[in-house]
Amino acid sequence: MSRLSKKSPSLCTDLPLDNADICKKLDLLRQLLRSCFGPTGRLKQVHNNIGGHVVTTSTSSVLLPAISSSQPFINLIKTSILNHVSRFSDCGLFAAILCLSLIEQAKQSGLRGNVAIRVNKHLLGLCTSYLQGEDCGCKVKLDFCSSQSLITLARSVISSKPTCVLTEPETLHISRLAVQAFLLTVPCSSPGIVSLGKIVTVSVEGHGVLNSTVFPGVLLDMPDVFTIDKVENLPSDALRMVLFSASLAGDLSELGDGIIELHPGVDTDSQILDQLLELGKQVVKDEVKLFVCQKVIHPVMQQYLRGHGIIVIERLGITLMEPLTQLTGAQPVATLHTTIPAKAYGRVRDLSIRTFGSKTMLHLHPPGECAICTMILCHRNETMLSELKVVCQKTEHVLRLTLREPSALLGGGCTETHLAAYIRHKSMNEIPETVSALGCSQTECLLGVEGFCRSLEAVAAALEHDGGSSLMDLTHAHHWSHPADVLTEHMGDNLGSCGCGLVESSPNQKWTYLNSNYPQFSPAPLSEDASVQPHVLDSFTAKLNALQVAVETANLALDVRYLIQDVN
Amino acid sequence: MSQRREQVYEKLDQGGEQERGSVGQALQQTTEEASSLGYGGSVPVGLMVAGMPPVERLHLDHVVQTVCVLESVVLRSFGPEGGQVLFTRDTGQAMLSRSGARILTALRLEHPLARMVVECVLKHSTVTGDGSKTFILLLASLLRMIHKMACKEPNVSHTYTSRQTAEASTARHLADNILAFALEELDDLIAMGVIPYGCCLSWEDFTAKKHLPGPSNNDCVQKLLTSFFHSRLGRSHCDFISKLTCELLTHWKFKRDQPSLSLEFVNDNLDALHTPVSGFPISCSRLIEGQVIHRDFATPCPQTEQKTVKAAVFSGYLQPKLLNAGQVLQLGRGEQWMEENSKNNRSIVQFSAWTERSLECVFANLQSLGVSVILSAVKQSAAVLSLAAQAEMCVVECVSENELSLFAQLSGATPVSDCWMVEPEHVATLTFCRPILLGAHRYVHVAFNDSEERVTVKPCSLVICGLGEGQTDQYTCAFRDAIRMLLSTWEPMGMTATTASKRTLQSTKSTYSHVDQIPNVPPFQQCGLQPGYVIPAGGTFEFLLHHALLQNGTSCSASDDTVTSGLAVSQLLANALLIVPRQIYSHSPRHFLQAQARFQTIIQNHSHPFSLVYKQEHRSIFGESAFPLEEDKLTKHCFTEADVSAKLFMSDSGLESVSCKYQLLLAVLQCLSSILHVDTVLHTHTALHTQSRRLANTSWEDTDDETED
Repeated sequence: MSRLSKKSPSLCTDLPLDNADICKKLDLLRQLLRSCFGPTGRLKQVHNNIGGHVVTTSTSSVLLPAISSSQPFINLIKTSILNHVSRFSDCGLFAAILCLSLIEQAKQSGLRGNVAIRVNKHLLGLCTSYLQGEDCGCKVKLDFCSSQSLITLARSVISSKPTCVLTEPETLHISRLAVQAFLLTVPCSSPGIVSLGKIVTVSVEGHGVLNSTVFPGVLLDMPDVFTIDKVENLPSDALRMVLFSASLAGDLSELGDGIIELHPGVDTDSQILDQLLELGKQVVKDEVKLFVCQKVIHPVMQQYLRGHGIIVIERLGITLMEPLTQLTGAQPVATLHTTIPAKAYGRVRDLSIRTFGSKTMLHLHPPGECAICTMILCHRNETMLSELKVVCQKTEHVLRLTLREPSALLGGGCTETHLAAYIRHKSMNEIPETVSALGCSQTECLLGVEGFCRSLEAVAAALEHDGGSSLMDLTHAHHWSHPADVLTEHMGDNLGSCGCGLVESSPNQKWTYLNSNYPQFSPAPLSEDASVQPHVLDSFTAKLNALQVAVETANLALDVRYLIQDVN
Repeated sequence: MSQRREQVYEKLDQGGEQERGSVGQALQQTTEEASSLGYGGSVPVGLMVAGMPPVERLHLDHVVQTVCVLESVVLRSFGPEGGQVLFTRDTGQAMLSRSGARILTALRLEHPLARMVVECVLKHSTVTGDGSKTFILLLASLLRMIHKMACKEPNVSHTYTSRQTAEASTARHLADNILAFALEELDDLIAMGVIPYGCCLSWEDFTAKKHLPGPSNNDCVQKLLTSFFHSRLGRSHCDFISKLTCELLTHWKFKRDQPSLSLEFVNDNLDALHTPVSGFPISCSRLIEGQVIHRDFATPCPQTEQKTVKAAVFSGYLQPKLLNAGQVLQLGRGEQWMEENSKNNRSIVQFSAWTERSLECVFANLQSLGVSVILSAVKQSAAVLSLAAQAEMCVVECVSENELSLFAQLSGATPVSDCWMVEPEHVATLTFCRPILLGAHRYVHVAFNDSEERVTVKPCSLVICGLGEGQTDQYTCAFRDAIRMLLSTWEPMGMTATTASKRTLQSTKSTYSHVDQIPNVPPFQQCGLQPGYVIPAGGTFEFLLHHALLQNGTSCSASDDTVTSGLAVSQLLANALLIVPRQIYSHSPRHFLQAQARFQTIIQNHSHPFSLVYKQEHRSIFGESAFPLEEDKLTKHCFTEADVSAKLFMSDSGLESVSCKYQLLLAVLQCLSSILHVDTVLHTHTALHTQSRRLANTSWEDTDDETED
């Protein structure tokens, strides 16, 4: 009763985007996220006020949940971005920076909220149709015949996470492993619906990154070293194995809620154990060599099985059950009283022992072609290792997305600048149609377009953290960065190549600073030169969705006219 | 008097402009201010008899101010230029909404009068799903008008002790009159003055849209939905969502049935029919064939190449529970007892062995029936899963009751209650049953075989994508309310006895004589409001009714005895209605005047029989699309009027339901008269919070009775 209390009235804010406090908070968030962006992004340390664990990160999926704000406006943007990241694993910071820049630009332009929203939505439509079109100048078809572009894509994801602290060869090694593991999960020859396999990740602390490897099959923890010598004696043809999903500890769980009265002299435990040993006898008779249980196995049972030369693994855990059934073809058994049917047994081609630092693991080789593989990740300390694990999972996800849409976008800010130049050009050419379709004046439309393009360019410029300046060439509209400490007469002299590496600087090229006024032009497509491969690639699917999420979130934020905060 | 009105508006502006603060505070301030201005105010607590609750006299000014503060909140999201309201729940979750009902509940008001108003709004919007913002707007407008009038003529009677009581009683009287007038005459007025300009949506045409190229009724339904979603979700997505809703309804129509049945079916099953997916833009929302069961497979799903899949639904445990609560199992009795009852004599192992054997029998039976999918309402034991995997069946556990009942309805199979008695009628035939990945979750996707009775229905589910949970929630709410709105659009409204008797009278009235002459309006349209009427959005209804009310006022003055009251009432109502178009065009007052002028011309033109006009208009508007209907069929549907007016309306204007508007107006007037009947608020103090909560939850009629003297 005493817990019931009167609900207090809600706190209201009118026209939140005009509120100085909220604007300041939005700006702060933008600065914060902007400084994390890209391979040279600055790391953030998150630690709470009660002296908890300190997290070092620059990833949006770790950083954003750590930012807690009482301001629902911030939370709205945060949840949108986090939802995107949880679906696509990539381009979270891109979406967040673009969204916040769009809000800022719309406010600066002084457009009415509804007009800005309509223009943004229209331009988003232009962007998506251009990116999905055939003649898109910033899209690259992925070639599955060679792993080169896949490795580039993986490397772009991994190198954009500086928290892993990887050297150049280490990044390359991990990228190769990620692609290798990904390719192992794609089944070679299965007609009809293809179901992808699984990567089981095992992390080993204290070893160099270059020791990380990928194995086909599953590696299981082997705490009991004394069985090793027996493993070596095993014949290496197909071994029979059995997988239990029910507990073999001697308990009966499915009896119901009634009461059991025990009379003296009755030993139910031994009765159940007898039953378990019956099961053991059958297993021995059926020449099973590997006995795996998801839960606990009674010690007597274990002893019995080991005595008959069977390798016993208990407490497997639910996560490994599915990979193991896929690998061996075994069906999990949960009945204790019926004979195990022959088809429930699984097969393993070979067993071997592998040692990684302190870990001794039993390697189960798949009997045939199988889409399960294990990735051993090594790193020097725990923080880096946990970040590396997250990064590898994200890379796997990004690589999987390419199966649905085998394209990638140019990285290094080139897609953003190219898109901005395209939108500027396209919307200038179609201004009368746009104005009539959107129902706004030409000035309003132009202001909206300018804001949108500047926001895109702001994202490209956010890649630069060392005080250098961001440039765009006026032929292909790619992104270039110019180091701050180098002073030269001619700009083109030490630019090298553009952000994605496709365009080399040449003397007759012209550049402009980003976020400055330049005459609109149609970005020229690149010459079809197979010898030049882009150095940086971004996931197409993830970036497209991020673009849509960013614009839609910005539109939602611009549409908010009133805040009601429930303070209960 | 005008001074006081200004104060009200000043307060209103303050309510709108205040940077941060609660509406509750604003309401508190208004009442305090009003009482401190010397209009009686509240009785000081110290002077009261001990034990008597504090009494607050409620005056017309308080009422007006209270409603105006609510109006100022709602206005932010009203009309085409309105935006969203972002609010946080007490859980900290951020939600966006443009739904008036949602905004008003989120305010968590304390002021008793404001709460009463909010309850009225909620009641109305749960029925019709629409109109909660307009409700507040109209209420505020009416109150201001009444306030103005009551202040003008406070000295009608000299029996009142103070001017305030006189004002209050005038206001109360006026409100009662308006309500009485509306209950009696409003449906006729709408039938005469508004309906001829609208068009009728017929369900048959909507569902048969595939055979009709060109503009059909489906467009009208879509337009109706578009303007609804425009007011609920904003302009950018309303077209997309309304198209999706139309598609959904077309898939779910039951032929040869009332439209309401089909709509009610969707309304009842919307929980099971939609899947919210966050992290994607709204444009990824789509319809998918069949049903999505919001659970994952508990066993690995075997990929079968078979054409059909057989499924059975279980509501209970497959593995028998030997010991239910309260039962006792005795183990290890003496030797003699063992001989007496050989069944219970051995170890506990045999019990579990028995349950496993019975489970094997169940599976053998299922296999003989060809079942390969088991849907279960509860979590099954590990043994069940293991046996199912060995029998190559897949199991879906913990399916919610709604989804199971929908599945049973769609597949025609009855759920199994006794798992030893599985008969062929329990087995459903599916075209497929496969995993589907929607957002973060993997669900089970099933599609049904076409059966005899479902030839016209194509079961499909809705995937609602949004940026976050808050948005998908918002879209789902809007969907639900859109269906409710459509339901109340088609809801037949009962004709009262009085309206029937008035028919004869009205035919003599010169103002409406042209209605009777219109050849293309079927006779039934003249008596009462037929379901399914729609009218162009953007204030049309209000303009037309405004005109009709004024006309009615003048005709009344010619014939009636109660000249003053009848005239005053219809004029008051007519003027109060104009607040809606005024707010719609609030971003530029010029547009409002233009719109008003446009309607004047339409109404004047319309007084001629317009079948001739129509034919010309029709050719000019739809000339290019080759409208394939015959002339007489065209005249049956009242497209004519809509086309005539549509030409003069904004090109992008949507449609609104007439019956929703009518219900809204009645609800506002009822609310108005009930709040004006309250004259005192008693603040009682109870030790237990529960009691006060209970009081707050009782309906406003009760509080009305208690506080009335």
